[in-house]
Amino acid sequence: MLNNRDLLRGVCLIGIALVFGVPALQYPIGDLARAGPGMFPLFVSSLLLLVGIATVIRSRFVERSPMTFSVKNVGLILGSLVAFAVLSRLVNMTLGIIALVFCAAAAAPPYSVIRNLQIAAVLIAIAYAFQRLFGLELNLY
Amino acid sequence: METLHNLAFGFEHALAWQNLMFCAIGCTVGTLVGLLPGLGPLATISLLLPLTYSLPLDGSLIMLAGIYYGAQYGDSVSAITMKMPHASSIVACIDGYAMTLKGQTGLALFTAGFSSFIGGTVALFVLAVLAPALGDAALMFGPAEYTTLVMLGFFCVSFVTTGNLLNGLAMCLIGVLLGQVGTDVNSGLARFTFGLHSLDDGIGLVSIALGCFGIAEITKNLDNREHRSPFTGAIKLMPSWSEFKRIIPSALRGSVAGSVLGLMPGGGPVIAQFAAYAIDKKFSKYRDEIGTGILEGVAGQAAADEAAARTSFIPLMSIGIPENPVMALMMAAFIIKGIQPGPNMIPEHPDLFWGLVASMWVGNCFLLFLNVPLVRYWLSVFKIPYRVLFPAILFFCCIGTFSVNNNLNDIYITAFFGVLGYTFMRLQLDPSPLMLGFILGPMLEENLRRALLLSHGDFSVFVTRPISGVFVGIVALLIVWQLVKFATKQSRSHA
Repeated sequence: MLNNRDLLRGVCLIGIALVFGVPALQYPIGDLARAGPGMFPLFVSSLLLLVGIATVIRSRFVERSPMTFSVKNVGLILGSLVAFAVLSRLVNMTLGIIALVFCAAAAAPPYSVIRNLQIAAVLIAIAYAFQRLFGLELNLY
Repeated sequence: METLHNLAFGFEHALAWQNLMFCAIGCTVGTLVGLLPGLGPLATISLLLPLTYSLPLDGSLIMLAGIYYGAQYGDSVSAITMKMPHASSIVACIDGYAMTLKGQTGLALFTAGFSSFIGGTVALFVLAVLAPALGDAALMFGPAEYTTLVMLGFFCVSFVTTGNLLNGLAMCLIGVLLGQVGTDVNSGLARFTFGLHSLDDGIGLVSIALGCFGIAEITKNLDNREHRSPFTGAIKLMPSWSEFKRIIPSALRGSVAGSVLGLMPGGGPVIAQFAAYAIDKKFSKYRDEIGTGILEGVAGQAAADEAAARTSFIPLMSIGIPENPVMALMMAAFIIKGIQPGPNMIPEHPDLFWGLVASMWVGNCFLLFLNVPLVRYWLSVFKIPYRVLFPAILFFCCIGTFSVNNNLNDIYITAFFGVLGYTFMRLQLDPSPLMLGFILGPMLEENLRRALLLSHGDFSVFVTRPISGVFVGIVALLIVWQLVKFATKQSRSHA
């Protein structure tokens, strides 16, 4: 399926429609004149389901094209954001920034520890300026 | 006469030194961030939104507007020098980049800056005359009209931004569904929170915007980076008198096209640029040379870009319906500041409205007299390699998300939308209509429920009311047109 981007797109849309549509069924639906909280989301996710099905059908008529997805880059970016949030909570934001830079930089080789330290130092200085000038509540230390 | 009086009133506000400063900061920061590879106006505005939280009301809106057109100018600069467009300056890449290849970068940048100024000036008058008038007309809109207008907006935006109705519509619908997360205002029921209490108040706008447009965009750029520009850094800005005279007719044509297209649902800078470029190709004295890197190819589209960016504020401030994703983000910023855009906004906050309108022209002057001469220094941003830039952008995304509520958990939500946005982009789904759906979704539900309540569940109310009926008619035409286009394409490929 990874080599058919159009089919995959349709499947994803159907998936999202179900994620919202199935829980919507459990909310009170009401009637048209007095709509309950489940009516509108059910209506919208049904439409999305139709769009998804139409996309799957259309994918059979157009030429196949593969989908590219860089798991490594996505993983590194995700990891650096999570590392920032976790370390900022557990220790402080200075360490969070250092972890963010070191983790993210792996997505753009060549990897250089010295450059990472320079970037981190500049960002910490910027964060400090934000804290002082704009009054942002950053727990840098 | 009254309009001129109001404009003078507005300039009084806009020229207060404090507002002047906010406007200058907005323009400059917007240009700088807009220059960065991979950050278009949507990403730039969402990145810088948190900076405006602590500012006074009028200052923050003036600064946001400044960020918007600064970002647009920065975007066209990166299009001209690097051929790196975001959704917003695709057309500037054609002749602008061709001029760079000919070594005329400076001339192209001046043309873009000066034409933007003309476009902005023309649009200012359109805005001043039309917005209050349209606001009066919008008072006749009931829930049925609002419902169908929002739907028309979805269709037009899907069509314009992605060129593919199905893909764009899918993104709008996903946006609407994301807007459903949180407590239902009518029943108090928590919907789609998936057991997470942090979602009770809904998903944060900044998380979605920064995730889908900031983080997703830079992740995508990591996949195909290392773009070298032939731009040498040598720059000659001022045109000769004969060149200068060539800019004006093209810029005026672009201003008119842009002003009109900026008003349409789904309209805005992107479609206006294409239209102005097409008009120049047909009517310009130098039409045969367009595409090879001549002034007219840059001037018309730049003027249209700016004019449409201004007039697209009209539906937002007078009807209360944003017509494109950037305006949706602006609307969210207005609401964060406690201002509900709509027919009542101009009568209730005349100082805010006229101040904002006047500040737009002041911003134009800043762009022309500050950014154009200084552009050679701004361009040094390009010398920073991407591997240094992108950790910094990530950091700003984190700070931006965190400082909305001072909550580190919001960063996880931003990260989630970063992955989602990247996946969408890789599936060739442009996430920008999602923003519009997210902002307009709750409004659509509210009005749909109210319209059906008033009509006792009878759907015919959407067709029998005249204004609403026209909107439904246009939607139907769009659908039929798409079906016919698909069918003819199929039969041709089988033949």
